[in-house]
Amino acid sequence: MYLYVDSDTWVHRLHPLVRLLGMAAVFVSAFVAERPLGQLPILALLAVLLRWTGALGNIYRLRHLFVLIFVMTTLIWTLFYGPDGAPPLLAWGPITVSRTAPWFALGMGLKLDAFLASGILFLSVTRIEEFAYALTRLGLPYKVGFAMTMAFRLVPVFVDAALNVVQAQRCRGLDFERGNLWVRALRYVPVMVPVFMGALRRADQMAMTLDARGFQTRAPRTVLEPYTTSPVDALVTLALLGGVTVYLWLWMHASLALR
Amino acid sequence: MTRDPAISLRGVSFTYRSAAEPALRDVSLDLHRGEFVVLMGATGAGKSTLAKCLNCSIPQFQPGRLDGAITVLGRSLAGATVSDLAGVVGLVSQDFEAQLFATNVRQEVAFGMEQRGVPREAMQRRLAEALTLVGLGGFESRDPGALSGGEKQRLAIAALLALQPEILVFDEPTTDLDPLGKAQIFEVLAALRARDGTILLIEHETDAAVHADRLLLMEGGRIVADGAPARELRDVARLERLGVRPLDLDRIGAALHWPERVDDIDAAAARLVVRDPSASPAAADPPAAAPVLALEHVEFSYPIGQRALADVSLAIQPGEFVALIGQNGSGKTTLAKCLNGLLRPQRGVVRLRGADLGDLPLNRVAAEVGYVFQNPDHQIFAASVGDEVAFALRNFGIAPSEVSERTRAALAAVGLAGSESLDPFLLGKGQRQRLAVASFLALEPAVLILDEPTTGLDYPEQRRMMDLLAQLHARGMTLVVITHTPWVVAQYARHGMLMRGGRLVFDGPLRDLFADEALLESCHFRVPDVTRLSHRLGLTALTVDELLTVVGGAARGAGA
Repeated sequence: MYLYVDSDTWVHRLHPLVRLLGMAAVFVSAFVAERPLGQLPILALLAVLLRWTGALGNIYRLRHLFVLIFVMTTLIWTLFYGPDGAPPLLAWGPITVSRTAPWFALGMGLKLDAFLASGILFLSVTRIEEFAYALTRLGLPYKVGFAMTMAFRLVPVFVDAALNVVQAQRCRGLDFERGNLWVRALRYVPVMVPVFMGALRRADQMAMTLDARGFQTRAPRTVLEPYTTSPVDALVTLALLGGVTVYLWLWMHASLALR
Repeated sequence: MTRDPAISLRGVSFTYRSAAEPALRDVSLDLHRGEFVVLMGATGAGKSTLAKCLNCSIPQFQPGRLDGAITVLGRSLAGATVSDLAGVVGLVSQDFEAQLFATNVRQEVAFGMEQRGVPREAMQRRLAEALTLVGLGGFESRDPGALSGGEKQRLAIAALLALQPEILVFDEPTTDLDPLGKAQIFEVLAALRARDGTILLIEHETDAAVHADRLLLMEGGRIVADGAPARELRDVARLERLGVRPLDLDRIGAALHWPERVDDIDAAAARLVVRDPSASPAAADPPAAAPVLALEHVEFSYPIGQRALADVSLAIQPGEFVALIGQNGSGKTTLAKCLNGLLRPQRGVVRLRGADLGDLPLNRVAAEVGYVFQNPDHQIFAASVGDEVAFALRNFGIAPSEVSERTRAALAAVGLAGSESLDPFLLGKGQRQRLAVASFLALEPAVLILDEPTTGLDYPEQRRMMDLLAQLHARGMTLVVITHTPWVVAQYARHGMLMRGGRLVFDGPLRDLFADEALLESCHFRVPDVTRLSHRLGLTALTVDELLTVVGGAARGAGA
C-alpha cells in the first residue's frame, strides 16, 4: 500500500530529520550539477543506499516512470535547448541542436531521475508518521504536517478505488482506447466522478474518526516512539553537509557547468 | 452490575439540515452501566442518527436541529464536541477502511493516545492490552492496509479501546465482513461484555440480539420496542413489519403456534415429526444443455501475491441460478472477473458459448456477461438516473430511440419506473444497487454476475433485491451471485459453488452442498438454522416454508 520498506537498517534508524536532510542534500547537489558526470556520484550513492535498505523493489515498481522521465527529458532538452554559441551538431528547419545540447539534456534526465530516486529512498525508509514528526520539528504546525502527510497515505487508496471504477465502467462498454485526445479525456469523467465522490465521503468519515481519537484535543501530545539522536546521526549530518558544500563550491566555481 | 444510567436521552429529536422530516422523534431512553443493548430497525429508522448523537458527531459533523437532552455519565452533551468525548464514548462504524490511517498497527492504536498526551509507559501497556483483547497480539508491525476486513475492523476497535472509553457504540460493525470476520467481531464483543463495559450495538443480523440484555427496535425515528430479546424476538409479524429478519426457529414456532419460545435446535427438533417423508424436497436435476460459460483448468495469479485461482474447471448452464460462496480471499471475485473477461487467466481457457473468451473483444463479452460490482458507487456518475442506465447503451452504439425504450424497461424491471430524471446520488443504498443492476439489464445480457448485491442493505431491501433477481431468473436469465448471506443462498440459488484457497471445492446442486455442514463450516460458512434443524430430522430443507411443508405443521410435545 505504501512505499515504506519495513526493515531495521542503519538508514531506517537515522533520526527523521537527518533522513529529511539527506533528501534535501541530494536535491540541492543534483540541482546545481549541470554536467552529467556531476550526477553520477549522486546516483551511485543512491543506488548503494537503495540496495542497502531493500528499496530497490520500489524502483522496479516505478521503473516505467524512471524511463519515461529520462527519455522525454533528454529528448525535449536536446531538441529545444536552443543555440548557445556552441557549434551546431545538426539543424533541422527551425530546430538547431548545438554540441552542448545532448550533454545538457542527459544531465537534466539524470537530474530528474536522481530527484525521483531520492524521494523514493526517503519514503522507503521513513514512515509517514516520522515524516510528519520531522516537518513539525522544522516548525510546521502539527495539523499542517499531518494534513500534508495524509496526502501520501491516501494516494494508494484512491489509486485502488480508481482501478475499481475503471473496471466497473469497462464492464459497461467504456473504451479508453478509441477517439482523439479530447474524446478520450471526456471518457475519464465516468471514472473521476465516482472516485471524487468516494474521496469526499471518505474525507468526511476520516474527519470524524480523527476527532473521535482526540485530534482536536489541546492537551500536550506525547509520542509512542521518542526519536533520539545518536553519534551516527551526527556523522551522517556532517557527511551530508560536507557533500553539499563540495557541490556548492564546484557550482560557484563553474566546475559543474557545461559552458 | 451497577444500574446507574450511563446514557440518558430525554425527548431527543433531530432533523438533518436539508431534510423535511425528523430522523429522531422524541426519543427518551436510559442505557445503564454494564448493559449490552442491541438496536435494530430498517434503514432510515434513525439508528445511526441516534448513535452519532451519543458522541456528538451529530450535530458537529452533520448539522441540523437537535432538541431534548442527552446526558453521558452524568454530563450534559450540550455544546460538547467529538474530541471532548474521545475516551468517554467510542463509536465504531461499518466503514473500517475510513477509520484507519497509520502505516502500522502499533502506530494506529497509539495515535489517539498520543493526541491525548498519555504517558509513554501507560501507552505501551494500553496498546498491548487493546491488541490482545481484539486478538491482534503479534500484529504490531503489520500494515493495516494489508489486513483482512475482520482484522481491520478489530484494529479500529482496538484504537478506540486504547482510549479506555466507558461506553462503546458499534454502528453495524459487521456489515462489510465475511462470515469469519463477523464471527471475530462477535468474539470481541463477548470479550468486551465480560469487562462490564456499556455497549450499544446496532445490527441487521438478528442473531446478534439473542444474547443481549435488551433489544431496542426503532421505526420512523422512534423507539417502538424495548425489552428482553426473548420476548421481543417472538413477535415475528412485528419484526417483519419493522424490517428485521426473524430467526428461523421463531418463525417455525409462530407457524406451529408453540406456546413458549424455543431457541435451541435440538429442542426444536424434539418437537417436530416428519409427517410425509415423500414430500422431502429432492435434489434439483442439473439442466442438460450446452454451457453458456465454462472454465477449463484456469489458473490466475496477481502480479504481487499468491495464486488466486488454481486449476478451476466449471460449467454454467443457461438459466442456472448459481451461488458462488467462500471466504474473502478464496478467489470468488477473481473467478467472476475471469468469467466476464475483466481478468485473463495465465493458464486454461474461459469459454463463452464455446468460444475462447481470449479471442473475443471485451465489449462483446461485456454485452453478453454483465458484471454488477459490489459497491454501486464505483459506477454511478451521471446527473440523472436515466442517463446512468443509458450510459452503457450509448457506449454500445444502440440507436437513440431504442436507448430510451430499453432504459424505461430496465428501470421498470428494478422498481424504479418513472425515476429517469432523479439525481442518482440522492437515492438510498438499495435503490442505487438496483440502479446498478438496471444499467446492466438494459444491455439484455445472457448472464448477469453480481458481487455481493445485498451487502449494506437492510432485510426489506435485501428481499427486494433478491426477489428482483428471482424474477429475472424466472424469465430465463442466467445468474451468478457472490454472497456471504446464508439465507439468501438458501432461498434463491439452486446451484452452489464453494471456493477455498483458489480452488473450487464443491460444484453441484445447492441442496447437496447444504447437506454437507462440515464442508461449509470448514470454509466458515454456517448454514441457516432451519437447515441445521432439518438435518436433525434426516432431511435437508433450505427454507422455513420447505420444512413446514415436510413436517406439515405436526408438533410433538408442543402442547398445541
